[in-house]
Amino acid sequence: MNRYRPRTFVLELLMVAAGVLFLFPVYALVTLSLKDPAQTAKSPLALPKPPTLDNYTQAWSSASLGGALLSSTLITVVSLVLLIVIGSCAAYWVARTGTRLGYGLYILFLLGIVLPFQLGMIPLYNLFSRLDLIGGYQSIILFYTGIQLPFTVFLYTGFIRALPQEYAAAALVDGASHLQAYTRIVFPLLRPITGTVLILNAVFIWNDFFTPLLYLAGSDKETVPVRIFAFVGQYVSDYGLVFAGLVLGAIPILVVFLVLQRYVIKGFASGLKG
Amino acid sequence: MSKKRSRLGPPWLFVAPALLVYAAIVIYPSVAGVVYAFTDWTGIGDWSFVGLRNFDTLLHDDQSLGALKNTLLLTVAIVVVQNGIGLLLALGVHARIKSRMVLRAVFFAPVVVSPVMIAFLWKYVYNPAPDAGLNGLLGAVGLGSLRQDWLGDPSLALWSVAAMVVWQNAGYSMVIFLAGLEGIGKDVREAATIDGAGPVARFRYVTWPLLAPATTINVMLSTIGGLKLFDQVFAATGGGPGYATETLSTVLYKQAFVFGRYGYSTAVALVLALFVAAVSLVQIRYLRAREDNA
Amino acid sequence: MTATDNGLNRAQFLRLVGGLALGAGVPGLLTACGDDDASGGGSTTLSLIGVADEKGPLDVLTKAYTDGGAGVTFKTSYAPTDQVTTSVRAQLGGGNAPDIHVLYPGAGNTMSTVDLGKAGLLADLSGQPWTASIPANLKASFSYDGKVYLFSSGLTVIGAIYNKSVFSAAGVQIPKTWPELLTACETFKKAGKVPIALGAQTQWVTQLITYALVAGYVYRDTPDFDDQMLAGKATFLNSGWKQSMELYMSLRDRGFFNDNPNGTTLEQQTAMVGTGQAAMAVQVAPLLPAFRDAATNKDDIDMFPFPNADSADQVYTWGAANVGVGVHAKSKNKDASLKFIEYLGQQENMNKWCEVVAAIPLKRDASSKVDPALQSFLPLLDAGRVAPVGSRWPNAEVQPTHFSVIQELLAKKITVDQALTKMDEAYKKQ
Repeated sequence: MNRYRPRTFVLELLMVAAGVLFLFPVYALVTLSLKDPAQTAKSPLALPKPPTLDNYTQAWSSASLGGALLSSTLITVVSLVLLIVIGSCAAYWVARTGTRLGYGLYILFLLGIVLPFQLGMIPLYNLFSRLDLIGGYQSIILFYTGIQLPFTVFLYTGFIRALPQEYAAAALVDGASHLQAYTRIVFPLLRPITGTVLILNAVFIWNDFFTPLLYLAGSDKETVPVRIFAFVGQYVSDYGLVFAGLVLGAIPILVVFLVLQRYVIKGFASGLKG
Repeated sequence: MSKKRSRLGPPWLFVAPALLVYAAIVIYPSVAGVVYAFTDWTGIGDWSFVGLRNFDTLLHDDQSLGALKNTLLLTVAIVVVQNGIGLLLALGVHARIKSRMVLRAVFFAPVVVSPVMIAFLWKYVYNPAPDAGLNGLLGAVGLGSLRQDWLGDPSLALWSVAAMVVWQNAGYSMVIFLAGLEGIGKDVREAATIDGAGPVARFRYVTWPLLAPATTINVMLSTIGGLKLFDQVFAATGGGPGYATETLSTVLYKQAFVFGRYGYSTAVALVLALFVAAVSLVQIRYLRAREDNA
Repeated sequence: MTATDNGLNRAQFLRLVGGLALGAGVPGLLTACGDDDASGGGSTTLSLIGVADEKGPLDVLTKAYTDGGAGVTFKTSYAPTDQVTTSVRAQLGGGNAPDIHVLYPGAGNTMSTVDLGKAGLLADLSGQPWTASIPANLKASFSYDGKVYLFSSGLTVIGAIYNKSVFSAAGVQIPKTWPELLTACETFKKAGKVPIALGAQTQWVTQLITYALVAGYVYRDTPDFDDQMLAGKATFLNSGWKQSMELYMSLRDRGFFNDNPNGTTLEQQTAMVGTGQAAMAVQVAPLLPAFRDAATNKDDIDMFPFPNADSADQVYTWGAANVGVGVHAKSKNKDASLKFIEYLGQQENMNKWCEVVAAIPLKRDASSKVDPALQSFLPLLDAGRVAPVGSRWPNAEVQPTHFSVIQELLAKKITVDQALTKMDEAYKKQ
């Protein structure tokens, strides 16, 4: 079954066809971003002729995407670090404590996946407001860390449960502290699932539009989606510009995925046994 | 045994930071939010307790009940189709085809794009004019008779939204199934081949049962995602035409921020949360039992 | 497992994580920079959050104000209507509202002048000079309990935006009465053109034809219809609303709309008129720039009052204050904010705002450049033949109910009577 046979060729053709079908909306996205409004009106999904990069230059300058990319990167990166550090530690405890409380906490964290975020949105905003954290990076980073913790703990716990316990146990017997055992032995073993956690949380945080609007609007810390959405009006929407901004904003996250792709899959693979 | 475990178990300091953040960002606000479900708060200004009135209203609200039905239909469609397609894609790109790495990226790419933007984009794809978007594509390949008023036909709009969501998330399911496939040792399948099992039998008796854990995660995640679905629906149809694509999440949003009935919307949110929790619990029980039998 | 399956090796991974950890130190740095920016030179910084449609005029005017040496800088954010409404409302509730924010005229949505005025969240603008130019019949849209809270630069109208070359090719004159409109549509239909493009997939577009008709068939004979409704003496079902909705649907039954209006978006509607596939669309004036952008030749796009009467001198137009801004009652920079509003209220600045969004200034002077496409509306406005339909509804549920029932009517799922009954029910809710 490892050889490339005629049947494999037929499968290859089928899969490529599926790929082309999948790319149709992506093609629409790119074509629309390369047209001026008159061209879009005349034939929205035909090939642009002539293609224009005006939308890109305009999106870059009038949405000040440079600064927004910096804000987005900062928020995403710091939230991810926090999520990975405290999420993996918590999962380690949950998976290894061997007490009823461990299971109880696991269920408590899982509850966070099912709660609609609208339920606590206003009280949380008021809390941040009382603490005078609105308009700064702290509030939004804390928000993402909290809101994505359940999913992160869920992924890490499944993975850790499938790991053999012996290495860490041996280190402990040799007199290492729990922290040493964790940082030197356990965390390096978590690499694949960390890749998964990283990409899935990054996608969510990078694309989230509403929270940064709520927490950061009217500050100089707006993120990429907020800047792009400023062009979606009730009356006049500049979709060429919006889609160009979208393409620019999606590139960093796609690059991260391409780099981490195999990790993501491996991370899931090893975590499924949990 | 428990003695040994407790000595080797990590100290509670490992879980403390996460618990603290989680309590502050998720637990406290949600509990505080639940209180509003028993009030007539508009979102600003004063409020008073109204007992169970919001829940009573909910039970007699045709719009919310219709939304509940739509939510269920949408979720079933998404869970079945998204995972079905995700499985086929995973089997395809797991095989020895030359383009498998490129295709993995292609199928996963929609996952990384903002859901709201996906909806804006798909409105171009769903243009009802016969020569535009998807209809144009169908015409070009000789399937002109399948042209539809994708988002405008009340009996079709919900399924069009579902298709859009499936397109965006099939790659997500694919990755999880792919992970499951990589976890199945080659030797197991080769052994099956040597035993003379054809591809169908091999899938039925070897691959599929071993994919049980991946299936559990996929079904659970897509169920929760489907029940809570908001961005794509709201940006694509706003709940229309009429009330044809209204879901619990759009009702919740409209009640809170369009109609200014924050208290009532919290009641809807609470019901939604209980509903999602119950469904996922039943699913986990059933699917885990299935894994154990496999 | 092959070598490529490992992707990142250990060293690469650690470098990546190290990079992330480094990133954790940056926020303090950036926050510090931001603070410097805000407090530099003793100037005031006003925060302003508006809807995307206000970005054009406000970008121009905030810049001019800062450049003019007012000692004020702005931090502005614009976003789509729904999201702005949601976030500003949460900010108001949390006591963290921007100094200046988007505000809708009249009542009937959660960010409207009456709703927020009633909650005591808006600063009083009553004394400002520009308020003298608010037309008497629109006072109710700008104020609550006798105090002016809304700043709006001018009026917007609903009418028929049309493609001149399609009209001339079919030999059709601008229709001045309802019968003339029907004849014109018939001619376009025979010529293979869509007479009226309708993008009802975009929900707020559904209401425009109703409003255009109700302005004539209700308010011409019953100018105090809103007061009657509020007093419980009138209903949608037993009023000119019924005739208006029936006329709306008669346009559908005669085949004067494009196929599948419920699946057609605003952008597609605009494109149809711009490219000459359709002759006209019933729309609000702020869309004129979008139609011009979509047209091959910008001069092809023009607009006329929707002929909702049997004689030309009885035509009424829907007209209302354009979306504007208000000042937060508890703003720490209230004085500076009020001064900026006064600046916006200067005639030349009202003119500028209106030019960008194709609105008609509250008061016109020699320097007002009213969009040429809107000239035909001026006589109606000056004669008071204008009705702000839908601006005094008692709750925020009537309008979305209207959207939904129109879509259901277009899909032939309900009758006009059922639709209006639903609207009456929504009207009665608290």
